[in-house]
Amino acid sequence: MPWNRPLIIGLLVVLLAISWWRLLPDDQEIRRSQLLMGTVVEIVVGGESSDKLEAAVDAAVAEMTRLDQLLSRHHQKSDLSRLSRSDTGTEVNVETAEVITLGLDVAQRSGGAFDLTLGRLKVLWGFDRENPTVPDQVALTAALEGIGPTALSLQGQEVNKRSLQLQVDLGGIAKGYAVDRAIAVLKEHGVTSAAVNAGGDMYLLGLHSELQGRPERPWRIGIQHPRHKETLLETVQVSDRAVVTSGDYERFFEEDGVRYHHIFDPQTGLPARGCQSVTIIADSVALADALATAVFVLGPAAGLQLLTQYPTAEGLVVAADGTLHSSSGWTNYRVTP
Amino acid sequence: MKTPWQVMTGSDWLVVLFLLGVSLAGIAWVATAPEGTQVVVTSGGKICFTASLDQPYSVDLDGPLGKTRLVIDDQGARITNSPCPRKICIAMGVARHTGDLLACVPNRILVSIDSPAGEEVPYDLLSR
Repeated sequence: MPWNRPLIIGLLVVLLAISWWRLLPDDQEIRRSQLLMGTVVEIVVGGESSDKLEAAVDAAVAEMTRLDQLLSRHHQKSDLSRLSRSDTGTEVNVETAEVITLGLDVAQRSGGAFDLTLGRLKVLWGFDRENPTVPDQVALTAALEGIGPTALSLQGQEVNKRSLQLQVDLGGIAKGYAVDRAIAVLKEHGVTSAAVNAGGDMYLLGLHSELQGRPERPWRIGIQHPRHKETLLETVQVSDRAVVTSGDYERFFEEDGVRYHHIFDPQTGLPARGCQSVTIIADSVALADALATAVFVLGPAAGLQLLTQYPTAEGLVVAADGTLHSSSGWTNYRVTP
Repeated sequence: MKTPWQVMTGSDWLVVLFLLGVSLAGIAWVATAPEGTQVVVTSGGKICFTASLDQPYSVDLDGPLGKTRLVIDDQGARITNSPCPRKICIAMGVARHTGDLLACVPNRILVSIDSPAGEEVPYDLLSR
């Protein structure tokens, strides 16, 4: 058989095309984890251009860093530090005002189960210190004096404190707000598929992009069992939703055989005892963050009742006795095994 | 009588060999891509150490407070020693599943478990 130049070269070109087609990525996925806001922030973005994705992630991280400077009580010049130092209140940035507005709304609707004014109580327990200890009752009573949903008010960007010693703490909501803002920045950069997770406060934007032969699909989020770290409680599928879990296993110490964790009941100043963990799915991380705390403090029955006031929010509660309770719409997100 | 298109010249063979070489290089690149679950450590936002989760290993990782010891064994990766005040990173236990994280916030050390390419995991992120 004579050599046929077009046939051989044609076959080789096809071989070359197939080889390089297999090598070309469908969509890129960029993952970045870094320590920010006192926790691990993980950002996953998907899309076609890695340069644009990297730029978008850089901008999202910059936004979260800026908000940390604004909302953290560990920064002397933050709005929060200025507010705590002030006698009767001060003017704050628009972002801080937004966080406080949402926090006060959840505080009022939850009857004070969520509370932005637990700054003194949290310092007293000292979960940030090397050796936290259980405070005595006198100190607890003093730390709870003057707190509550009406202890703080907001007019525009002017925050007013009811008492001089009131210390504001946005720990239950600020991280979530920063994740919301990071997602907004990613959207501004044209990102349509992303996950931002700040120590368990996460938002899942769009669908998890097509990757390595796996088709595009909603994000799958595993929910850790509160007592068996290696076990999943459930897996949920979400898109354009926030998922936040609060549990008594995140930060705790034991004294005389009793576990003391960091989610406090504002009525007693002691760790809330109604739940092991609460997972909230909502349309913003800040809201989910605040609701997770409120439901945890209220316990399964009253907590799920609170969620009926928020049509976009659903919850899964592991009660103190280990039983599972969920809101009516939770099954819409549950992945059936 | 052969037409000119039915004759392979030396230049034709060069083209054939070039295309064949490029194709084989692409296939070899894919075949030699790293496999297996990886332990990736970042410090100050930059990757400072990677290792296979399948190979026992221990390493001292430098951070602003001093050295954090990471041990990889048949159970997974864990921090066994750290200069941080509250030792929360040690209490975090073992990381061995894709997406697991260990973090020492004061010493700026972050340990993550990365999946091998193409591995199907039951979830994308863990809510805890």
